Amino acid sequence: MPCKHYKNALVEAAASGFHPQGDLRAHLDTCASCRAAFEQEQSLFASIDIGLQVSANAEVPASLLPRVRARLEEASAPRPIWVPNWLVLASAAVMVVAFIAARSVWSTRVVEKPVETAVKTIVQPPQNLDPSVGDPAENNSPSHRELPIAKNPSPHETIVRGKTTPEVVVPRDQELLLAEYAEQWRLHKHAPLVAQDSDGTVLAPLQMDQIQIAELDVKLLAEEKSQ
Amino acid sequence: MQELVLVQPGRTVGDELEHEAAQADTRREFEARLAECGPLAYRVARGVLRNTADAEDVAQEALLRAYRSFHRLRDRTRFRAWLVRIAFRLALDRLRSGKRRELRDTIWSQPEHQPRGATAEDLAVSSEFQAHLDNALAELPEKLRLVLLLAAMEGHTIDDIAAMLGISTGTVKSRIFYARRQLAEKLRCHANTIKTR
Repeated sequence: MPCKHYKNALVEAAASGFHPQGDLRAHLDTCASCRAAFEQEQSLFASIDIGLQVSANAEVPASLLPRVRARLEEASAPRPIWVPNWLVLASAAVMVVAFIAARSVWSTRVVEKPVETAVKTIVQPPQNLDPSVGDPAENNSPSHRELPIAKNPSPHETIVRGKTTPEVVVPRDQELLLAEYAEQWRLHKHAPLVAQDSDGTVLAPLQMDQIQIAELDVKLLAEEKSQ
Repeated sequence: MQELVLVQPGRTVGDELEHEAAQADTRREFEARLAECGPLAYRVARGVLRNTADAEDVAQEALLRAYRSFHRLRDRTRFRAWLVRIAFRLALDRLRSGKRRELRDTIWSQPEHQPRGATAEDLAVSSEFQAHLDNALAELPEKLRLVLLLAAMEGHTIDDIAAMLGISTGTVKSRIFYARRQLAEKLRCHANTIKTR
């Protein structure tokens, strides 16, 4: 055990690495225990220094600098990040615009088709009409001939059409006028629809025979059973 | 044949060429310092982390960061100090993150890394003592630890360290003194235990 009075001085002298001077030096010359303690402290600090040197001067891996240089190459290579970003954004925008345009065109056609179909249905000259009502010469006019004549739709087709295309019922004498208007509309001319006065032809009311129903012969159930 | 030059929006071809030339200059200047300062970054990192793989990662990262910001460093003579601080800070972050702690230093206690012929200090070559020293070093305040590590590295004088860290030589000496004394206090009991076996 070192002397209490010199204990701190011994530690500090060992930590500083200098040789003890003056009073401490004189004490160490005379006190064996303090001298042993001082040597022990010096040994401890020497161990610490050696350990520190070992850790501080570790061999540098040979791969360190080549790796750093490779990463520097990557870092300093031109990175045109904005080009792909720009391209991606531009192509996405083009696709969106194309999609919107396609949708609007498609929806316009869907709107146009029912009108056309309705007109076709209206202008179709009935096959079994009374010849006295319509003038055959008028039916042969070029404008009338250009109008498409739809075949009689099948029952299923009628149902389908009925869902989407409203049928317009007009007086027989205005069929031609409506057909011409429809044709103009189809050609995107949008001619104003001018109503014409009726030629005064009064349609005869539909004549139907009265329904004849024979008298029912109702018998009582009891009678029927007895028979 | 026409040469295609990639030009960023808002820049002319002339600007782009000037920029590339400046980058090449920076790269050349940095590479000139790399061979000298790369090992320093590694050793600082290893002194903190005590693991070769982690230290190499950290040193690489520190050098890359230094390269990225190299053009902003006005006083290029301060590069070593700057790099040391980056490496030290990154190593501390890595140490604190606790990642790969279980892998830490298998190499540390291997015989080839210990002093050969070890003077009279049998204690120092003891792997057990070395482990205690590592722990004690890790508990030191950052300022003391960095100065002690730099002082332990070969070729660094007190003046070098003072210049590197931008502190006075007196401060360097006192930090070394206090750091060693704190280590000694922590290791004294272990040293006695090991010696008496």
